[in-house]
Amino acid sequence: MSATMSSMTLARDSLQAHEPSAGWSTWLVRQGYQRLLVLRAQIDLYYFWEKRWFFFVLGFGALMLSLAPPHGLSQEGWVMLIMSGAATVLFITHPVPLPTVALLIIVGQVLLVGVDSDIVAGNLMTDSVLFIMGSLMLAVAVVKQKLDKRIAWSIVRITGTRTVNVCFGISAVCGLMASFIGEHTVAAMMLPVGITLISLTAQNPARIRNLSAFILFSIVFGCTTAGIGTPSGGARNAIMIGYWQEFFYNPANPATRRYVIDYLTWMLYGYPLFIAQLLFVTPILYFTFRPERQDLSRAVAKLRLQIELDGPMTPGAWLSVFIFILIMIGWITASQLIGMGTVALLGTCAFLVTGLVKWEDINSGVNWGVVLLYAAAISLGVEMQTTGAASWLADQVFALFAPIGLGSGLGLLAGVAILTAAVANTMAPGAAVAVLGPIVLKLAGPTGADPIQIGFITAFASAFAYLAVASSPASTIVFSSGYLKISDFLRVGWRMALMSMILLLLQAEFLWPLIDHWR
Amino acid sequence: MTVLDQLKMLFGRPPVSAMAGTAAVKPRRRPPTHHEKAVQKQLDELRRRRRERFRILVCIDGSEEANEALRMAAYLGRPDECDIILLYVRHVDHGLASGGLQVRVARQNMLDWGIELPGIRDLREGLELLKSEGMTLEGWTYSIAHTDVWGDPLGDNKVEYRDETTGRSIVLKLKTAPDTASGILDQYELGPYNLMILGESSRWHSEFRSIFFGGSVVQKVAMLAPCSVLVARKGSHQKTGFFICTDGSARSTDGVKRAAVLAKTCGAPITLFAVAPTLKGRPFAREAVENARALLKSMRIEVAHVKVAVGDPAEQIVRHGANYKLIVVSDEGRTRLQRVFKGSVSYEVVRDARTSVLDVR
Repeated sequence: MSATMSSMTLARDSLQAHEPSAGWSTWLVRQGYQRLLVLRAQIDLYYFWEKRWFFFVLGFGALMLSLAPPHGLSQEGWVMLIMSGAATVLFITHPVPLPTVALLIIVGQVLLVGVDSDIVAGNLMTDSVLFIMGSLMLAVAVVKQKLDKRIAWSIVRITGTRTVNVCFGISAVCGLMASFIGEHTVAAMMLPVGITLISLTAQNPARIRNLSAFILFSIVFGCTTAGIGTPSGGARNAIMIGYWQEFFYNPANPATRRYVIDYLTWMLYGYPLFIAQLLFVTPILYFTFRPERQDLSRAVAKLRLQIELDGPMTPGAWLSVFIFILIMIGWITASQLIGMGTVALLGTCAFLVTGLVKWEDINSGVNWGVVLLYAAAISLGVEMQTTGAASWLADQVFALFAPIGLGSGLGLLAGVAILTAAVANTMAPGAAVAVLGPIVLKLAGPTGADPIQIGFITAFASAFAYLAVASSPASTIVFSSGYLKISDFLRVGWRMALMSMILLLLQAEFLWPLIDHWR
Repeated sequence: MTVLDQLKMLFGRPPVSAMAGTAAVKPRRRPPTHHEKAVQKQLDELRRRRRERFRILVCIDGSEEANEALRMAAYLGRPDECDIILLYVRHVDHGLASGGLQVRVARQNMLDWGIELPGIRDLREGLELLKSEGMTLEGWTYSIAHTDVWGDPLGDNKVEYRDETTGRSIVLKLKTAPDTASGILDQYELGPYNLMILGESSRWHSEFRSIFFGGSVVQKVAMLAPCSVLVARKGSHQKTGFFICTDGSARSTDGVKRAAVLAKTCGAPITLFAVAPTLKGRPFAREAVENARALLKSMRIEVAHVKVAVGDPAEQIVRHGANYKLIVVSDEGRTRLQRVFKGSVSYEVVRDARTSVLDVR
């Protein structure tokens, strides 16, 4: 630096940094203007800006509560409706940690609606919630078994090394597994497989952007399309089964027995749609992202080497496969008797007792806040139904749907499917079903539609959240790898959504009546 | 002579930041414990050392725009007293989107396969880019630090390369935060930094829309950062010169002085620019640039050109500054609410410019 600059240094004289604001305990003891400055800096930086939606919801909710309920709706129903709307906005914008929304729902039911706190607490733990909790614990246990390399190798052995075949193999195997153990589990397991294939193909990921997208989306869509296949494919399915049972099943009336949907019945409705979608996944991906390499033989050879270095399957790995098959058999055969949640918890216990997974892993791998959130959302749905808010809202939706030809038959199903897919694209599918479920099931009343069909449409359409990254578990997990762009999801998502929607409505029109007849 | 005295001498009045700096070491009401005292002393010492250096925070995400930000950091951060901190912010998953399974499980699985997480890869590529821009790290020591945050064991990771002879350091920081913008702002609290550099964003809402729909990371940081922010744009590294704008106000004069010091250390030619809203105001604009030129002359900083234009200030700055490496504007210090109703020239320039822009605060 020149001599003329000796009296001024860069650090002091150019763009002098402000002192960072200290913690709250420090500014509390500061005096006068200093305190005001620091307080203002704190507010500017974090508080009101970050939490603006929370305050907006709080203020708007308070305003709505002060108004009289609309005609035909009880005061309790009005409160539940406002709470449900507020929860939906908070789900989408999450200005506060999501479990906070769950706690607010619980507190709101007691304080605003006046439901006995024991009843609210009782509503929180249903078999659906036990199932969601159990399957999340199982997910961690399964991911920890390191079966992913074996699965990858067995895919490649069947499909050969052509890119299109490998990708179809990945989608099919991801789908088959995800339909039983949940899409998040399979996405977490198969992500390294996809990235290994990409990184072994070329050093510079920018050169094979399309190939990367092709492989990674094969995992994403294999998982998401399969989530509808069985009840254990996702939390949303368990939630819908719980709602049917809660709203329509009456043990004293044998005719309502059909509302208790068992594992196999769900598969009858879900599996054909999953398989039909699976056939379209690879062609859609191929035409959207034309891969730069048509053959993956170099990557496959290196993958094979990695797997051979790992040696043969350990007894522990065989044991976990065995437990896993037992859990699936349990879901199919015993879930009617002891509940799906109990089977999932039994499976988790088996993994823990045999020492295949540590509790610490399960404890840190499961987001317990989400379990609480689903519990609270389901109890909110049950209260929506009890207070009549769901029926009132269903009437309003019907009044909107009817004039545009969506009031009955296939039109109604299409309306419900589009509504659900739109909501699921803005928040997670599980939350979308929890919030929308009671309303659309109540739509069955005025429209004369079958609640089972409407329920299936809602649960299935919630899986069509292909457009946004944060709206499906598999997308979020694969996106966390950093190889995909948000625009990639939009590019391929609308094609997938369109295809899935057409297939869903075709099956609802032609296949489901046959299944109903057969049941 | 203390730093504060030097500042008083140079700028006439101590800036707020310096006042806040002295308040931090004021004695507390409650006598602190022995341990607290030791920690506070350590922190004060660290902060004091950092404030004697010019610290640039470069936020990267692996994109082309982020590479431009890195090139700009290498250009501005050549002198020995500059520290460069590369920051990659990784999201904490809210759980609902990943169906209740922590994304960490998937990331851990990737690490088990020996695959690099994206942030690590991008930081390493960033360091390589700095090296290719002429920064040699030969003979430097390095240290690694790790902190668990947000219940995420992968947490925050830091690798610091340090030249013991000059005290200069380059830091690679992988940080976990609920969202990128708040992670960057939170990093400032751990700083402080003199300058934040970010790559241009393609998504930029208007001030009013951003209240409801949020904005891009760059927009949020530009709005909320307490220090100067530089938004780097593609292609500006091929251009030369600082295009420093003034309106004659005390705040903008202060900004001109500070940016000119930076330009001088980089060896960049300076062009001073002022805009008159109408033809009638042209003499005032001319007076503003001449005053600024005289001021810089008194600081022994040469000005290559002066320019005056008539019209909408933001529009004229964007148009005339397009061929320079860097447009420098002074922040008006308006609050969010004031910006919604009155607008902000500096903010408009940051948003609309076709070259890199430095918003001086």
